[in-house]
Amino acid sequence: MGRLTVAVVLLMALLAACAGVGSPTQFVDLSLRQPLPDAAEAEVRPLRIAVAAVLSPEGNIENYADLAAYLGDRLGRPAELVQRRTYAEVNDLIANGEVDMAFVCTSAYVAGHDRSEMELLAVPEISGETVYFSSIIVADDSEAATFSDLRDAVFAFTDPISHTGRVYPSFLLQELGETPEGFFSATFFTYSHDRAIEAVADGIADAAAVDSLVLDNAIARDPALADRVKVIHQSPAFGIPPVVVPVDLPVELRLELEELLLSLHDDPAGPAILAQLGIGRFIHGEDSAYDGVREMVEATGIGR
Amino acid sequence: MRHPGEPALGPRDAPERFGDWVDRIKRTATGFSVRTKILGIVLALTTVLGLAVTWQVRSVMTNVLISELDNRGRSVASDLAARTVDPILLNDTYRVFETLDDTVANHPDAIYAFVLDPTGSVVAHTFGEEGFPTELLGLNPGEGTTEIKHNHLTGEIGRFHDFQAPVLDGRAGVVRLGLSEARLTDVVSGITAQMLVTTLFVGLAGVAAASLLTWLLTRPILDLVDTTRRVGEGDLGARAAHWADDEIGDLAAAFNQMVTDLEANRETIRETETARTRLLEQLITAQEEERKRIARELHDTVGQALSSIMVGVEILTRGGDDDLLRKKDEIQSLSRETLEQVRELSRELRPSVLDDLGLAAALDRYAQDFEVRYPEISVDLHVNLSGRLQSTVETALYRVVQEGMTNAMRHSGAHTLSVLVTQSDGSVQTIIEDDGSGFDPLEARRNGKSVGLHGMAERAEMLGGTIDIESGKEGTTLYVRVPV
Repeated sequence: MGRLTVAVVLLMALLAACAGVGSPTQFVDLSLRQPLPDAAEAEVRPLRIAVAAVLSPEGNIENYADLAAYLGDRLGRPAELVQRRTYAEVNDLIANGEVDMAFVCTSAYVAGHDRSEMELLAVPEISGETVYFSSIIVADDSEAATFSDLRDAVFAFTDPISHTGRVYPSFLLQELGETPEGFFSATFFTYSHDRAIEAVADGIADAAAVDSLVLDNAIARDPALADRVKVIHQSPAFGIPPVVVPVDLPVELRLELEELLLSLHDDPAGPAILAQLGIGRFIHGEDSAYDGVREMVEATGIGR
Repeated sequence: MRHPGEPALGPRDAPERFGDWVDRIKRTATGFSVRTKILGIVLALTTVLGLAVTWQVRSVMTNVLISELDNRGRSVASDLAARTVDPILLNDTYRVFETLDDTVANHPDAIYAFVLDPTGSVVAHTFGEEGFPTELLGLNPGEGTTEIKHNHLTGEIGRFHDFQAPVLDGRAGVVRLGLSEARLTDVVSGITAQMLVTTLFVGLAGVAAASLLTWLLTRPILDLVDTTRRVGEGDLGARAAHWADDEIGDLAAAFNQMVTDLEANRETIRETETARTRLLEQLITAQEEERKRIARELHDTVGQALSSIMVGVEILTRGGDDDLLRKKDEIQSLSRETLEQVRELSRELRPSVLDDLGLAAALDRYAQDFEVRYPEISVDLHVNLSGRLQSTVETALYRVVQEGMTNAMRHSGAHTLSVLVTQSDGSVQTIIEDDGSGFDPLEARRNGKSVGLHGMAERAEMLGGTIDIESGKEGTTLYVRVPV
């Protein structure tokens, strides 16, 4: 009987082994739960760089990650990029001293500066210029030729306090004696310039006002975009969006940052980082360069 | 029980033990009835087949469903990673949580989802307020992974799959998604149970069908067994019923034929036995008759003659010369006659010519005597033999011809008798033909009036020969073949 029993047991063991699925697995008890620890206070406080949502969060990471890494490396501490959905939230971060440095929009700067929350650190220089424009774009097959042709169009604003994306088109409407609600059939916010361009290219919006620098960069990256959208109106030159620091940033850090930015183009790593940002170099900026912006902000009351 | 001195089981013992096993299995297997064997085979086949198919389907289904679960997990995790990029980068923790929570709520297999930032801290999770199973954090693949990773894990809830999808190539963190196998296991278990139930039903149906089959198969066999027993007990009228036109039906038919033949043989034996008894009685009677005839013959002829001779001799002693001479002639004549009568008697009893000159001469003499004695019948005799035969054969054939011719003379009223004796190919063939009225040989044998016929047959059979009778209105022909 012994041999038969052994054979049967072996057969059953084999069947059981085959019936089991896959290889043995690690045991993890999901019911063993613990409260998560509060984020420990970092031993070294990282350099926090805010980037306003000129581009989508992903686009900003692509463009600014190298610069952040460079600055962190030079300052001997980790650097991290901080993003928020709106310009206003970034302004709040600066006002509360939660970030050490920020790339902001012009009208956001004007507002923050005039509330004594931030100071100019440096401005980008592109092809020797420190200006940019608001470009009114429509789809390539649109019949609209001027801004006033956009009556009853669906219009995409970028950020509620974006200068090129909201303040300037509102100013134009004000001059026409119109309001966005009356002139356009519908408006919406995209919260970034690249998404506004895509909205027009994809036909979700009939027109949008965008940062000329972002548009140039987008077309440089995707030349096919030039065939899908066209500029029907360009604003006068405005001071370029600046790099700012909170007013209460320690002077030493401020000076270190200023020095690093202004000399970036001389650093071996500099050209690649600057090319990623689409600018030539950082130079000193003057607050007076933003008086034109300031006037429009005053005139429209947006961002005050 | 092995004694201490006994050698351990050697390799030579193994085949013997194996042989014992084979014998035991054979005895066990052959010990069951056909019904049990067929039922056992059907039951074993359905069970083995059912279990094998169930197992196969179960493992194939499990593999397919797990692979499908993996694919789904990868696509859901990858979708989650894409949808959480913006809220993670914008520090919108609530939207991250909402996205995770919606996914887990809308996906039946999902048991958890959470997001880790690049440093490995939990950004948002769906485990609720009781806390977080920190064991899961140990499985973090680390930063910079651009591919979706996938772990098979087991927990208190059973097996589950953990997917790790990097957000923005890991720069924004990692989305983790847990999918449970519970639903999959339920589906597989349900199907397994269904298949086992089906197997059970098929097995029962198989047993029912096999029962019917074995009943159909064994019923005629058992009937045949019963009939055999009855025949064995002497009931030759018993016949096996014919159930079907199959091999068993053929067997029953052959069996019935055998019993029929047996019955006929027994009838023949009984008839032969009866005839033999009658023959014995008649032989005794005939012997007595023959003795009476010889006694009467001796008394009437030889006795009378001898008395006359004695009287003549008495007269001789008393009488004169003339008388003497006359008496001497009388006595001489009487003695001659008496001698002739004694010879005649002797020849009839046993013709010495058969012993001296053989069958051909004896038959020739007999035919001549027959024609002399019965002038109304003409005998045509042809004997063609290569030489003398064995004495027993010659006697038997002589008696057969004698009996056949006597029968024809007595019963058929024939006018012509033809007798042909030829030798060829190791046998002697004798044909006795008459042009008489004929008779029914079977009827004659049955009613016991054919002692002569029976005697002829007995004589032929004793020598290993055969006898055939053809009889009709044109006469009777008797064929006797005896091997030599």
